[in-house]
Amino acid sequence: MTTILTNPLRVGLRQERVISPQCIVIFGASGDLTHRKLIPALFELFRQRRLPSEFAVLGCARRPWSDEEFRQKMGDSLAEQVAEHPRAWDAFAQGLFYEPVDLQQPEHLVRLGTRLEAVDRLRATRGNRTFYLSVSPEFYGSGCRALAGAGLLADPERSRVVIEKPFGRDYASAQALNKVVQACAKESQVFRIDHYLGKETVQNILVLRFANTIFEPIWNRNYIANVQITAAETVGVEERAGYYESSGALRDMVQNHLTQILALTAMEPPGRFDPEAIRNEKAKVLQSAHLAREDEPWKCCVRGQYAAGGSRAQPLSGYRQEPGVNPNSTTETYVAMKVFIDNWRWQGVPFYLRTGKRLPKRLSEVVLTFREAPVHLFDAAGGAPTPNQLILRIQPDEGADIKFEVKAPGSGMRSRPVDMAFSYDESFGEPSDEGYVRLLADAMLGDPTLFTRSDEVEAAWRLYTPLLELIEEAPWQLPVHPYEARTWGPAASDNLLAEDGLIWRRP
Amino acid sequence: MRPQALRLTRSAPPAPHPPRAMSTQLTLQAPLEVPPAEVTPYLERLWHDGLEGSTGAATFTLLVWDPAWLEQQLVRIGRVDGPITGLDRADVLDAAREIVTLVGLPPSTAPMDPRLAWAVGQQPGSHAATDLRGRTVESAISSLTPRRLITLAPTLDDGHPLETLVAAYCPLPEDGGTGGAACGDVVVLRGGMGAMKQGLGLLQSLVGNDLPCWVWWNSSLDEPPEMLEALAPPPRRLVIDTSLGDPRRCLEVLVDRIDRGQALNDLNWLRLRSWRESLAMVFDPPSRRDALGRVVQLDIDVEGEHPVKGLLLAAWIADRLGWHLVASESVAADVGHGIAAEFQRTDGATVRFRLMPVPVGVPKAHPGAIVGLRLICEPAGRPPLCVILCSESGGCMRLESGGMASMELAEEVVPLPEESEERELARLLGGGHDTTNPLLAAAAPLAAELLPSAAP
Ligand SMILES: NC(=O)c1ccc[n+]([C@@H]2O[C@H](COP(=O)([O-])OP(=O)(O)OC[C@H]3O[C@@H](n4cnc5c(N)ncnc54)[C@H](OP(=O)(O)O)[C@@H]3O)[C@@H](O)[C@H]2O)c1
Repeated sequence: MTTILTNPLRVGLRQERVISPQCIVIFGASGDLTHRKLIPALFELFRQRRLPSEFAVLGCARRPWSDEEFRQKMGDSLAEQVAEHPRAWDAFAQGLFYEPVDLQQPEHLVRLGTRLEAVDRLRATRGNRTFYLSVSPEFYGSGCRALAGAGLLADPERSRVVIEKPFGRDYASAQALNKVVQACAKESQVFRIDHYLGKETVQNILVLRFANTIFEPIWNRNYIANVQITAAETVGVEERAGYYESSGALRDMVQNHLTQILALTAMEPPGRFDPEAIRNEKAKVLQSAHLAREDEPWKCCVRGQYAAGGSRAQPLSGYRQEPGVNPNSTTETYVAMKVFIDNWRWQGVPFYLRTGKRLPKRLSEVVLTFREAPVHLFDAAGGAPTPNQLILRIQPDEGADIKFEVKAPGSGMRSRPVDMAFSYDESFGEPSDEGYVRLLADAMLGDPTLFTRSDEVEAAWRLYTPLLELIEEAPWQLPVHPYEARTWGPAASDNLLAEDGLIWRRP
Repeated sequence: MRPQALRLTRSAPPAPHPPRAMSTQLTLQAPLEVPPAEVTPYLERLWHDGLEGSTGAATFTLLVWDPAWLEQQLVRIGRVDGPITGLDRADVLDAAREIVTLVGLPPSTAPMDPRLAWAVGQQPGSHAATDLRGRTVESAISSLTPRRLITLAPTLDDGHPLETLVAAYCPLPEDGGTGGAACGDVVVLRGGMGAMKQGLGLLQSLVGNDLPCWVWWNSSLDEPPEMLEALAPPPRRLVIDTSLGDPRRCLEVLVDRIDRGQALNDLNWLRLRSWRESLAMVFDPPSRRDALGRVVQLDIDVEGEHPVKGLLLAAWIADRLGWHLVASESVAADVGHGIAAEFQRTDGATVRFRLMPVPVGVPKAHPGAIVGLRLICEPAGRPPLCVILCSESGGCMRLESGGMASMELAEEVVPLPEESEERELARLLGGGHDTTNPLLAAAAPLAAELLPSAAP
């Protein structure tokens, strides 16, 4: 990694789009996400002058804090940034307010409405509101109902609601939640977060594909042999056991993040760069995706669970030994699967998805492997020529690589593979916006491009329904294979590809 | 008088006046003329009785000084057709370009140069036209639902008495309106200069103190300073254009207002965005960062003899890189005068700066548009780096010539912004700030210092 010096000429050049005066109302203001991500992201936007002066944050949760307490608490948890920019913090903190609200008490929301009008007058926020539901998922539906009940979502131009992940636990619950949400607000008011879409390199998949002419002609079954999408984490379950036990890798990572990457990689070009056009294509491609063996899903999916591992100096405990985890837990921490997309572009091209915790490296990438040259004219240094690959590195070391064959130096006509690499760091060297900075800005701008629409979420859940049902009804058919911590998952996962004569890319 | 709410209707502008950039304009149905003394009571009645249940959008007030001298003069001499709109019109720019040499000005005179409106004013003609100023709103602005839009529309005829027009409005739902109750109102004050001064008396009560107020000085800064003073006291937020008016006066207004702590926005500065972006882009790769600390020479070419935009660009670079101004003087150029200056870098080394006016065939709308920029750096242990940025519409041969064979060359073409003034303004209003952009606040005094005190 290159060290990042800021480019002094770059300062202040990110205000392409302006956020209009508004009040962002955060439910769950006393929670973890608010002080760890949301307030820091808003403060960052404020420091970059991307927020207007007419701006307010109204924190809401049940505990009876005062405005002053809320400011103090947020200041304490951002101590480092506050110390670095004390004056900016003072100015920012003036726009922080707090109102005790229990989402289950309708009269609290009526009081909230009155408070919001007062904030509008005080801060000239023009009645524009972004409601951010950073509360437990069980409150997403009732929270929307409560907001709508108090008339706070009545104006579709001036009110929006942001919903955190996870959106549902399966197809049926996502559908039910969508019904509730859509009864309360128009789809254009609803912003479902998938924080992977906030990453610049995920967005870059779109730009790379559709701003260049050299990729699109070969981006199909005629040239591409298979696609691998990997999201690997080195960490274990950490303090999230409570949540993770009931979720597992399939719900936590695959249904949302990996599926979004799959959609961006495989979608058709949208007619124009417009949120609905893009989301139409994403929804369409997900609707044509299905597990390679829907009738016998255990044949195209592998689950795993990390067991103890690590080194003698740094031993790592297994998942079942982690605090808060059931010692007989069958929750998967690793999952790999094979998916097909039934359309003209991708018919017959396997997409392999995998994700896991306690793998050897933290990385996310998409690897497109091209078909082999029809005739092998040259001896390859490694036996057969390596097929061409395009690797989109999402994190870390964001960038792209193309692997192709060149003549090996020396006599004869032997070929060997080389890399042509592009790295964000070397080319731009600017830290890109943290995901929440981008997503909050977009939600406040009312730009839904990077948020998932109801039909996308439902299509994503439907894609994995056979697996979820199997895990529910006949878990023994989809056992969790143990794998040693800090290895690339269970052997069964390698077999999944070996059946097709392939191997996972070892990054 | 029974107050009446009017709806903005989407209608083609009454005459073939294509606006400069793609945009929809909303025309207000004829507002009502009320006597000046009746304006405030009328509006109070309108909101209290006429529009029950609606207090209007809690947004902002926009006050526009909108003399449209050039348009008025061109209409008067029959070079363009009425009605007078006060908007950015392509046909006005075309007519202005055609007439430049006929009135004895150099061909590189920009259409918006106030000297042109003055020279056209010396031509005979007495065509009259309807005056729709203040009644046509760019949809980008109306979708922000301003609570009150006040237009001051001075007429050519100095003796024209004060006319006051009033209406309530609501933008169409597709432009962000609620389609329901009225959102705001529109007030037009029209008349000769005497009438305008009389109109000032109405303004305080019309503007009020509750909502933020923006003042758009949509004209040359050479115009009577008392008027600017009266319209735009702090904390009103002021929008000016430092390409219009005597350069020294422009920079003085800029610096003075920033010193007074007013939130100031300069459209001339905003039009530099693509230049700043292109230059920043060149230095994004970390491998080039080092070169930024080793600049030895900066050259900027501008159209015609209005240096302010070029000076703001130079001052921004100097400020970002921590240069200190040593001396600045006027130098002879092929056309008119240029500016030569010397800066000291943070490491004590010298940076040479030249700003040169160059003649152009078809000038941009505003005086002093940037034609090209050249930055030469001598990083340690590497060949010198020469960065050249050229405007999309013209070459920059002067900067490309001479002595760069041994240098690493980074050349970029800077795209022309294709936004109308109204859209630029809408961006400002849409995401308002109550303080001046710190980059502009830092660059403005330096730009003023760069302007030599007298031509040789
Ligand atoms: N934390 C993360 O890193 C992260 C990452 C991705 C997604 N998310 C999602 O973000 C959401 C919030 O996560 P979190 O970690 O911040 O949760 P948390 O720390 O448990 O916070 C929950 C918040 O909800 C408030 N709350 C509970 N019941 C309420 C009610 N009836 N009415 C109003 N407020 C109520 C709580 O405050 P009171 O007790 O004072 O009411 C608390 O502020 C969750 O949906 C989670 O899935 C979190």
